Amino acid sequence: MTFFDLYGQKIITAIGVHFLYVLISVSIGFVVALVLGILLSRVPRMARFVLPLISIFQTIPGVVFIGVLFLYLGMKPVTVITALAIYAMFPILKNTYVGLMEVDASLIEAARGCGMSPLERLFEVELPLAVPSIIGGLRMSTVYTVSWAVLASMIGLGGLGEFIYIGIATNNNALIVAGAVPAAVMAVVLSLLIDLFKRRSVRKAGV
Amino acid sequence: MIRFEEVVKKYGDAVILDQISFEIKEGEFAVLIGPSGCGKTTTLKTINRLIEPEAGRIYVEGKDIMDANPVQLRRKIGYVIQEIGLFPNMTVAQNIAVVPKRLKYSKEEIEQITRDLLDMVNMSYEEYAHKYPSELSGGQQQRIGVLRALAASPPIVLMDEPFGALDPMTRNVLQDEIIRLHKKLKKTIVFVTHDMDEALKLADTIIFMDQGKIVQMAGPDEMLENPASDLIKQFMGKRLSENGVNSLTAADFMKSHPASAYRSDGVKKSTQIMARRQIDTLLIKNEDETYAGSVTIGNIRKFGKQAQTIGEIPVTPNAVSYTKDDAADSFEKLLDSDSDFVVVLHDNDTIAGIVTKTSMARAMADALWGDES
Repeated sequence: MTFFDLYGQKIITAIGVHFLYVLISVSIGFVVALVLGILLSRVPRMARFVLPLISIFQTIPGVVFIGVLFLYLGMKPVTVITALAIYAMFPILKNTYVGLMEVDASLIEAARGCGMSPLERLFEVELPLAVPSIIGGLRMSTVYTVSWAVLASMIGLGGLGEFIYIGIATNNNALIVAGAVPAAVMAVVLSLLIDLFKRRSVRKAGV
Repeated sequence: MIRFEEVVKKYGDAVILDQISFEIKEGEFAVLIGPSGCGKTTTLKTINRLIEPEAGRIYVEGKDIMDANPVQLRRKIGYVIQEIGLFPNMTVAQNIAVVPKRLKYSKEEIEQITRDLLDMVNMSYEEYAHKYPSELSGGQQQRIGVLRALAASPPIVLMDEPFGALDPMTRNVLQDEIIRLHKKLKKTIVFVTHDMDEALKLADTIIFMDQGKIVQMAGPDEMLENPASDLIKQFMGKRLSENGVNSLTAADFMKSHPASAYRSDGVKKSTQIMARRQIDTLLIKNEDETYAGSVTIGNIRKFGKQAQTIGEIPVTPNAVSYTKDDAADSFEKLLDSDSDFVVVLHDNDTIAGIVTKTSMARAMADALWGDES
């Protein structure tokens, strides 16, 4: 029996679970971060306190955070997704805020002078111009989340981390590689896809 | 059309607008000018409520603008800024359509407007409508900036140093275009600049501001002739010596290096000079370069045979001006005398030039039509 006969099916399942974790948590994180980023950009004074706070929070190791959440939420996928979504949020939130703040003041004035309402200004001028920065944040958080999702197995919830932990525990290098390589490939492929999307959307925007 | 009543704007303790009152009539091209920080841009931006004053009233078309919804108000007032401010994520056509779209114009209507406007600045719809601003030159971008302001045919257009960032050539072309557009569309235009040449070229009325107050509000001619303060004079500096005939001296209009000969020069040589320069009168200098008078060809014919040197021929006295005399004075002397010219002398009585009727005509043309002629 080869390695693949033994583990092939399991690896494919693990890749699927891992990918779902990433997809769901990044999606949730993206929406929340976008909304928060926009709100923060409306009151830049608040951002001066909020952004450093977030930076500090970000330095808490994921292991600790998942561990704490596990105590409250129990051994459910929701624990993993909540933790990952919160971590995925940070880069997007920061980039959304920065992207919006970097929109040229003269364009904002032109938009006001043209009689755009604040909402029109946001959706027709500011957000389109912040798109490259926002997608940059999305890419970063996707890549991070792929690696953080490895921690899911720490509380026994599968994903590619399972192979890595078992591999380490049993001193089985093949298992470690079987977990690490698909995770790395997933990170690279997702990053490339997002880059491609960014380039297309940027060209369309003519920015 | 636009009326300010005792408008006050402060930032903290700094008074930016100090109870200014003025009125701009319908169809007028009003230029706000003054040194940096004089409040000209603030004044402009209070008109579309980008800045709101602390006290006083501003009426646009008879209505207090504080009663209007600012967003609605701005859709009826075109706005052009120095930084151009075209939205880089929109095409030329989309930029032009920004206001008409908000006013719910139909698609066909918007396209027609865009075509007409582009046509007015000689940019073809087919070539430019679907380009992004980054694909245009600075001059073209600002043309689109102006068109965007005109798109919903607002009765009023505000322009905040719109040509300030353009190179002088392009600026000139765009100035000419805006004059043409103003004549054609008869908009009320309020235009901010710090360039007096631009103000004099464009304005029906110049509003000169300093330290939040209006120093003088007058037409370009009136301001040139009677600047209300030294600061205004200074602003017009160069223009005054070029334009206002009153402050010009004889030196500004004389022809320098007129044909002349020393007393000791031979008659033959002198007549040759006259033949070569095709003149019938020659200025005569003493040996110390001072002016002695002039001899006419008539006198040379009469007395030339007996004379060896030109100095022996009787000289005709001419009307004389000095270089620092008013140009107007020397023109008067010219008209009073029978001669075709007035001799202009330096302070030490040496010859500087002559003022002829041609110089006078040029001076009058300048005064009447500026320096375009």
